[in-house]
Amino acid sequence: MSTFIQLVTRSLETGSIYALAALGIIIIFRTSSITHFAQGAMAMFNTFVVTIFYINFHMPLWMALLGGIASAFLSGFLVDFLIIRHTKKVSPVAKQIMTLGLIMVFVGVIPLFFGVEPLNLPKFFNSGEIAFLGAKISYNGLFNISFGLILMFVLFYILQKTKWGLAVRTTASNDVVARMMGVPTRKVTMAAWAIAAGLGVIAGVMNAPTTTVTPNLMDSVQLNALIACVLGGFQTFYGPVLGAYIIGIVKNLFVYYISSVWGDQLLYISILVFIVFRPHGLIGKKVIKKV
Amino acid sequence: MSHVQPLEKGIILSIENLSISFGGIKAVDNLSFQIKEKEIFGLIGPNGAGKTTAFNCITQFYKPNHGSIRFLSKKDVTVELNEHAVHEIIGLGLVRTFQNVELIRELSILDNVLVGAHIDYKTGLFGAMVKTRKAKKEEESLRLEAMKILQFLGIADKAMWPVGGQPYGILKKVELARTLMCAPRLIILDEPAAGLNDVETLGLADVIRTIRNEYNCAVLLVEHDMRLVMDVCDTICAINFGKFLAKGSPKEIKLNKDVQVAYLGTQEDQV
Amino acid sequence: MKKLLAQIKAYPYTKYILLGLVLATIPSLVYFDVLKSSYVTLVGVVMIYTIVSLGLNLLLGWSGLISLGTAGFMGLAAYISAYMTMNLKMPFEVTLIVSILIPVAISVLVGLISLRIEGLYLAIATLAVSEIFRKTFAEFEFITNGFSGKSVRYPTFFGFFKLDTTMTYLLLVVFMVVIMILIHNLINSHVGRALNAMRGSEAAAQAMGINLLKYRLLAFALATALTSTAGILYAHFIKYVEPSKWNLGLSLNILAVIIIGGVRSIIGTFVGSLVVFAVPDLVLKQIPYFGKIPNFAYIINGILIIVVILYYPAGLIRVFNDGKDAVVKLFKKSRGKTV
Repeated sequence: MSTFIQLVTRSLETGSIYALAALGIIIIFRTSSITHFAQGAMAMFNTFVVTIFYINFHMPLWMALLGGIASAFLSGFLVDFLIIRHTKKVSPVAKQIMTLGLIMVFVGVIPLFFGVEPLNLPKFFNSGEIAFLGAKISYNGLFNISFGLILMFVLFYILQKTKWGLAVRTTASNDVVARMMGVPTRKVTMAAWAIAAGLGVIAGVMNAPTTTVTPNLMDSVQLNALIACVLGGFQTFYGPVLGAYIIGIVKNLFVYYISSVWGDQLLYISILVFIVFRPHGLIGKKVIKKV
Repeated sequence: MSHVQPLEKGIILSIENLSISFGGIKAVDNLSFQIKEKEIFGLIGPNGAGKTTAFNCITQFYKPNHGSIRFLSKKDVTVELNEHAVHEIIGLGLVRTFQNVELIRELSILDNVLVGAHIDYKTGLFGAMVKTRKAKKEEESLRLEAMKILQFLGIADKAMWPVGGQPYGILKKVELARTLMCAPRLIILDEPAAGLNDVETLGLADVIRTIRNEYNCAVLLVEHDMRLVMDVCDTICAINFGKFLAKGSPKEIKLNKDVQVAYLGTQEDQV
Repeated sequence: MKKLLAQIKAYPYTKYILLGLVLATIPSLVYFDVLKSSYVTLVGVVMIYTIVSLGLNLLLGWSGLISLGTAGFMGLAAYISAYMTMNLKMPFEVTLIVSILIPVAISVLVGLISLRIEGLYLAIATLAVSEIFRKTFAEFEFITNGFSGKSVRYPTFFGFFKLDTTMTYLLLVVFMVVIMILIHNLINSHVGRALNAMRGSEAAAQAMGINLLKYRLLAFALATALTSTAGILYAHFIKYVEPSKWNLGLSLNILAVIIIGGVRSIIGTFVGSLVVFAVPDLVLKQIPYFGKIPNFAYIINGILIIVVILYYPAGLIRVFNDGKDAVVKLFKKSRGKTV
C-alpha cells in the first residue's frame, strides 16, 4: 500500500509538469487554433536560459527562474508577432507544420547559444522529506505539486472570473465575433503565447533536475502533454489538465506493475485505442459538421 | 432487398415520417412526401425550416432518428436508403450538389467533373499505377463523356482551367456537371440559385428543365429563390419548423394561407 | 527532328527519365575524378529521401493526412531487412517484400485510428506511434543490436549477383525513377482524384461515392510502402542502421522536404530532398563563418518551412516554374520587338 501511495505522489509530481505543459498547449489551441508542437522546444530553450542565469551569473534559482519567465514571455511574444499574426489565411494543418518548423529553429540554435555540453539544474529544495501514510514525499516534490496546483488555480480563476479571462474565452469560442464585439483578440492571442511559454519554462525547470538540460529535455513532456490534450479533449481548458494527471499516474503504475521496458509503449497504445472509442476525449463532445 | 416494400408505380422517392433531432431540438419532425419519376420537385420553407437537414438525411449525411426513405434504384429495385452508407448513395442513382459549392480547387474543371464518375471506374490500384491499356481506354471514354456534359452546360472551353478562382456561376455549373456523370435517377440541388445574379438564375431554370428532359431524371430542388421555384417546379412541398405545411402545384402553394403566414408572418406580427 | 523533339517533350515521363539519366552519370564522373567520391553517397541518400518524401507527399500533399511517424516506419523497415538478410540469411527479394508488408500492416492500423479522430489530432497520434517505435528499437536488442547499431551488406540478387557501391547506387536511380512514374500515373488516375477529393472536401468525396475509410487506408498503406522501400534501400546502401537515427528530427526533415520542395509536386519533392539533405554538405558548410555554426542547416530548414508556408505555399518548384515562365516571357517579348 505504501508503495502504491509513493507511486501516486510521485506521479502527481510528473503529472504537474505534464499539466503545466498541456495547459500551455491548450491555451494556444483555444486562442489561435494551432496545435502547438513547439511548446516543448520553447520550454527547453528557456530552461537553458534559466540554467545559464543560474550557472554563469550565479543567480539564486528563483531569480534565474524569473529571468527565464521573462525570456519565455519575450519568446512567446516574438513568435506571435513574427509568425502567428500572419497566418490568417493558412490552413490548420499548415499552421501545425509551422510549429514543427519552430521546433527545428529552437532545437537548432541551442548549440550556438549554449554549447553542446549537457548542463545541470538543481531542485528547489535539495533535501528533506515528510512521511505520509507510510510513503515519503520530498519537500521538492511537495513544492512542485503545490506550486503547479496553485498556478493552475490562479489561471483558472483568471479565466473564469475576470474580464481578461472572459476575453480569452470569447476569443476561444469565436474570434471573429469576439473581434466584432470589441475584444482585443490580438492582445489576447499575444498574451496567450506569452503565458504558454511561461508555463512551459516552469514545467522545464521542474523537469530539469530529473535529467540533464539538453535539447531533448522536454521531448517526453511535450509528447505526454499533447497526448493529455487528446485524452482530455481539446474543447475545454481543464480537460487536458485532468488528462495530464491521469497520464502521469497511469504511466508510473504501468512502468512499476507491468513492465519497466514496455510500460510507456503500452500506455501510448492504450490511449490510441481509447481515442478510437472516444475520439473527442474524456470531456469533449462531438461537433456536428454542417454540409 | 426483398424486405423493403416496393414503391408504387411512377414514384421514385418516398419519405415517410422522417424525424431527426439535435440536442432536443427537432430539426425535422414527422415529414412525409413523395417524388414522382421525371418530376421537378421543390422543397421550400423559411430559414431554419429544416430543408437542408431533411436532405442531409435523404443522402445519409445524417442518420435520421425515425422514418423510412425508400428509393427506386438504378436497377429498378426499391431500396431503403437508411440501410446504406453515405458513399453508397450515388451508386443507387441519387446524387447531390452542395449549398457552398464543394469542389477541389487545385484540380481542373474536367478533373472535378470526373470525380463524379468515380464509381464507374473498374480499374484497380495496380492498373492505375502502371496505366494499363484497359485503364487508358476507360479514362479516355469517361473523359469524352465529361466533355460532352461540359459542352451541354456550355463550359467545355474552360475544361482545363483550375477550379480555384473561377466565378461562382461557373462553379455551380461544374457541380451540376459532376452530378450528371453518374447517370442519376434523382438529383438533389441544394440552393442552386444562391449567389447567382438574375440572368444566371433565369438560365438555371432552363438548364434544370433540359437536364430533366435530356437525362430522364427527377430533380429535388431546395431553394430560397421563389421565382426560380415557382418557374421550374411541377410540385412544391413547403415545410416550417421541420413540419409539413402544404403540398401542391406552384399556384396552389402561392395561394396557400399557411405558407403565406410562414413566410410573411401573421398580420399581428407585422404590426 | 523537330517532330521527334516535340514528341519527347509531350511524353509524360520525360522529365523523370531525364533526371534518372543525369543522376546515373554521377558514378562515372567520380571515376573520371570530376567529382569527389563522396558525391555518390550524398546523391544516393538524396534519392532515398526523395522516395520517403514522395510517400509523405502522397499522404500529406495529395490526401491531406499528416504523419509524424515517417522516421519510425522507415527505421522499422530498415531493421527488418537488416535482420532478415544478416541474421536469417534470407534472399534480398524476400526481404524486400516482407520488410514492406509488416510496416504497411501496422500503418493500416494507424489509418483505422485516423478515421475516428479529427485531422488535427492525427499528428499527435502518429507522433505517439513513432515514440513507440523509437523506444522499441532500443529494447529489441536481438534484432536491432541496441544502441551499438547494426551492420548490413550491399544487396545480393538471385543469391549470387552481389552489387557493389556503383551498382547499388544505380539500383537507387531505377527505384526512384520507377516510383516517380508510378506516382505520376496514380495521381492522374481516378484514384488520385479520389485522394484529392478526400483532401478538398470530405463531404463531396462521400457524396461522389468515395469510401473515406478505403482511401485513407490506401493513402497510409502506399505512403508506408514507399517509406519502407526507402528504409530498406537505406540499410543496404549505407550498410549501417542505428536506433538514434529514427527520431522526430528526421521526420521533421522529411516534412521540410515536401514543404520546401513543393507540396503535390513529384520533381519538387526531389528538389526539396536536394535542399534538405545535400545543400547543407555541399553549400552551407562552405560559407565562411555561418558554415561553422552547428545545426545551421536544421535551423535554415525550420525557417524555410515557416517562410515557404507563409509566402510561397507552392514551394521551391514553383519558384523554378515562375522563373522559367519569366524567361520565356522575356524571350517572347524581345522576339516580338525584332519582328
